[in-house]
Amino acid sequence: MNRPSFQSVRTAQFFSLLAPALLLFTVGLILPLFLGLYYSFTSWDGYTKDFPFVGFDNFVKIVQDPHTLDAWWFTIQFTFWNTLLQNVLALFFAVILDTGLKAKTFYRTVLFLPCLVAPIVAGFIWQHMYIDVLPGLNSLMGTKINFGLFGKADTVLSGLLIVNNWQFIGYWMLIYLAALQSIPGELYESAVVDGAGTWTQFIKITIPMLAPAFTICIVGITAGSLRVYDLLVSATQGGPGRASTSIIYHIYNTALNAQQYGYGSALSVSLIVVLLLIALVQLGYLKKREVQL
Amino acid sequence: MAVVSVAFLLPLYTVVVFSFKTKKELYLDNPLALPHSWFFDNYSSAFDRLHVGTTFLNTFLYTAISVFLLALLSGAAAWAIARNRGRFFRFTYVYFLLGILIPFQALFLPIYIVGNALHLTNTFYGIILMYVATGLSFSVFLMTGFMTQVPVELEEAAQIDGCSIYRTYFSIVLPLLKPAMATLVILQAFAIWNDYLLASLFVSSSALKTLNVMFQQLFSTTSSNYSTAMAGVMISVIPISILFLSLQKYFIKGLSAGAVKG
Repeated sequence: MNRPSFQSVRTAQFFSLLAPALLLFTVGLILPLFLGLYYSFTSWDGYTKDFPFVGFDNFVKIVQDPHTLDAWWFTIQFTFWNTLLQNVLALFFAVILDTGLKAKTFYRTVLFLPCLVAPIVAGFIWQHMYIDVLPGLNSLMGTKINFGLFGKADTVLSGLLIVNNWQFIGYWMLIYLAALQSIPGELYESAVVDGAGTWTQFIKITIPMLAPAFTICIVGITAGSLRVYDLLVSATQGGPGRASTSIIYHIYNTALNAQQYGYGSALSVSLIVVLLLIALVQLGYLKKREVQL
Repeated sequence: MAVVSVAFLLPLYTVVVFSFKTKKELYLDNPLALPHSWFFDNYSSAFDRLHVGTTFLNTFLYTAISVFLLALLSGAAAWAIARNRGRFFRFTYVYFLLGILIPFQALFLPIYIVGNALHLTNTFYGIILMYVATGLSFSVFLMTGFMTQVPVELEEAAQIDGCSIYRTYFSIVLPLLKPAMATLVILQAFAIWNDYLLASLFVSSSALKTLNVMFQQLFSTTSSNYSTAMAGVMISVIPISILFLSLQKYFIKGLSAGAVKG
């Protein structure tokens, strides 16, 4: 009788350590992925038992539906500005804090604190900031600035960008700070000996050495911004009208409120495709720059 | 920088201050003014009217149990992956990584559908399973990265002495993974405590809802006395702040892992 080899028993045991996670992950994420793909080819309404097959109709609808296109446009704008502003500002503050400023720990904590509140709470806090608290500054300063950024379609994006940046600049700043602190001082010293000024040092030493941090922050902020939802629920409810409806908010509305699970699934699939594409492009470009250095 | 600090602190300051204001002060006084006294009624009414006690307990339990399961499952899986060169194990690593490229927010609809079909919605364990399932990708990724810090020689020595795989993992490897676990705990607890999307989909009944779900229900009713809500917010921020303060360095380490060259 053949006894299983020592090696195969070991492997089986290792597998048993792996199995629970594998199972849960498959049921919780991979299964929904394939189901979502299947539903996107149907016009299921979420309740009845039939799944009428409609082929690519849902996907065609995506490019024709003005609500979807608006949602994508908002999400893209939000993502673009966020990625730009948060990165620049986080790096800016990290550089300032790295210069051996007094009370550095205090500033670091203050900038970081906002990310501890949930985005849904942040939306609520800022709603009141815009409506009640900031107008209070008007009476202190004798000005009449209209702070109601959430109330108008053309300022709602700025209003939301302010909240999101307030929340997360400190978070990304910590990453840049850690990266900055790991740059060996000798590099700067030899640059000074060679006659390089501060700006040259920044461009030629700091920025290249920060390449891995750039990768993490840029990819992270982009991915996070594309998924914005919680903030919108409490801050603007997608409004005024539909001015601040992100793609995930739109999926929620379409599927759960308007009961179009088929179309909603198609929208989800399109979001996943976009996320994958952007991730691949960004990682490809950024990793290449890292390796060159 | 000082100006920047004031600007950043202002919203949080308003939460603190408002949580102590009476309804009258809310309307009549300048919003930036300090409250007249420490009006704790907002806090007690948060407990009574808003059932903050139950909701807090729910959120706490979901977070604690989910994080515990994540630590258990991802640690074991990551170790199995790190110690096996075979094609199958390499494949499972990439398989888990898929979940990082495809975040659960993008899949929330089919996840909700699956959860519904399996009768996991509005149950205590349903939401926990969902949090664990969606958190596994990142956890496995993080833990596999930390496995290089566990010396293989130690494990080999243990196995020569007759330890089984399981014994090796639990008695030798796990204790060495403490910093890794700390990083995992703080990062995942943070994400789960502050989650809204999954919680709003899976636990809507008042007995089971989380703090964030309760807040949103509160925020959306045009309630004029939001100082109670502010008190609730203060209460919800406390545990995560405590956890963060105690595990700060692991949080920072986890964030910047990979950002530091070399």
